[in-house]
Amino acid sequence: MSTRRAIGPTRAVVFFGVLVALPAFGLAHWVINMLVFTLMFAVMSSAWNLLGGFAGYPSLGHVAFFGIGAYAEVLWFGHHGITSGYEPFLLLPLIGIGVALLGLPIAAIAMRTRADVFAIVTVTLLFVVQTLAFNLRGLTGGAQGASIAAAPFPAGYYEQPFYFVLLALLAVAMGLTWLTMRSKVGLSLAAVRADEDKAVGIGVRVQTVKLLAFCVSVGLTGMVGGIWAYYEGFIYPQFAVDPLITVAIVLMTFLGGRGTLWGPVVGAFILEMAQQYLAYSLGGSQLYLIGYALVFLVIILLMPRGILPSIQDRLRRRRRRRAVDTPFPATAREPALTGQGERT
Amino acid sequence: MSAPNKSALLEVAGVSRRFGSVQALQDASLSVEQNSITALIGPNGSGKTTLFNVITGYLRADSGHIRFDGHDVTSAKPAMLYRHGLSRTFQQARVFADLTVAENLVVAGGFSVARLFGGRVDRHDRERVAELLGEFGLSHVADLYASELSYGQRKLLEFAAVLMSRPKLVMLDEPTAGVNPVLIETMERHIRALHDAGITFLIVEHDMNFVMRLCDPVVVLDQGQEIFAGPPDAVQTNPAVVDAYLGA
Repeated sequence: MSTRRAIGPTRAVVFFGVLVALPAFGLAHWVINMLVFTLMFAVMSSAWNLLGGFAGYPSLGHVAFFGIGAYAEVLWFGHHGITSGYEPFLLLPLIGIGVALLGLPIAAIAMRTRADVFAIVTVTLLFVVQTLAFNLRGLTGGAQGASIAAAPFPAGYYEQPFYFVLLALLAVAMGLTWLTMRSKVGLSLAAVRADEDKAVGIGVRVQTVKLLAFCVSVGLTGMVGGIWAYYEGFIYPQFAVDPLITVAIVLMTFLGGRGTLWGPVVGAFILEMAQQYLAYSLGGSQLYLIGYALVFLVIILLMPRGILPSIQDRLRRRRRRRAVDTPFPATAREPALTGQGERT
Repeated sequence: MSAPNKSALLEVAGVSRRFGSVQALQDASLSVEQNSITALIGPNGSGKTTLFNVITGYLRADSGHIRFDGHDVTSAKPAMLYRHGLSRTFQQARVFADLTVAENLVVAGGFSVARLFGGRVDRHDRERVAELLGEFGLSHVADLYASELSYGQRKLLEFAAVLMSRPKLVMLDEPTAGVNPVLIETMERHIRALHDAGITFLIVEHDMNFVMRLCDPVVVLDQGQEIFAGPPDAVQTNPAVVDAYLGA
């Protein structure tokens, strides 16, 4: 028991330790650029998971909040000179809180619907924000785009500040996920996801936990938008509010496993890296999208509930079989059974 | 039917509810006395479950009034009713499959917003959870997922869970449907014990033997109206009731 309890923290220390150490190995720019995008998606998938995975509200409009965060960053610093280059990062918590508060009335309305209807309501949100970004020219520059002064980091390690800020944000997102899971917030969200009407009838604070999950989720997503805007330096409505981003974070979460701590992160690392690698090796054509779709289809066909839940199920079944088997000579039976387990 | 009674815990007066062209409840009245085990019976489609849903705030009444424990609760929300001592179970045992048995109890504890940030099962919960699990013979499965229980065990779990809020009135929707005879007896024993401890019951049930053994009074609903209310031995001989069941 105590060894199993130690696995979680150990895993986190190793994972973040490796990621902190990585840039010290003098990675090529394209590799660290890929990692920056992977981390962005890992944070956003983890954030989406709080709402889509734990509360069971599959939002397809998260990129609207990503875009709002991005424009908030650009609007704030677009006309300022950036001296040390780190101020835009200091603004991030404010963006997070601002986007979360903006999400509150939206959640109060959108979360009156459920499941597929909720997904559609949130999709409309995406297009509303995109249309606003195109048309509020005085604010966003419209289709001409808006710019933020390039970060004055030395070219040799330009990506690194972004990388480390995203890594910290991933730690925050995963920390919040972990707190959710072990608290009554998670317990209440699980009840909402399984049977909201029943949950209402037994006094679960349904409205509170739903709004909380929504606001934290979109707040984190908005912060990633802010980092992205600063990283790109120049943003356009069709990229700041790109439906493909929403699709990607949903796919990543499903792939890794909804409602788990590590699932969205695993999904982001597999899909974003596969996509970047395929785009790189298949060139400028859109062919990489086919490879990307294949990776997703194969894994989902083999593990319909996502990678981590499927592995956990398999381990649990094996452990139970082993427990049932103890009356028999363990050494004689075990290898045969584990072999079987791996094949199925 | 009867004049407003001071000792009635639940008082339903002239409640109607229509779904499109179907009049599910037509001026239905019902009174549940303090510390009684009241049965609500009636042929299929007579409006029993609709009445349950209206009383517990899941459906709004088109007209009429409902009083619970001295308060007008005609338009009260389910959560509020639950916190004020009105619990219910559902026809199909509705438990949370991917929560453990113990967690299913905790989540029904009606905890405050401040406690949301405490542990899933913390020290405030343990005592009450252990007590209820022991009472219902579920201690040995406390850490299993509810999905791993038999249907009968799930019914017991749902029953145990709605007791977490220390209710005054428990409304059971077909507690014996789909469970084996041994479990029916268990269910009966629990209801009696809780009744002795002062809890009032309103039970929708089709198993007439169960009703005859346990309940007094029996209220019969037909086509959304109360057609009889009285002691169990008078029910079977009442001509209106016989008509309703035989469809004369």
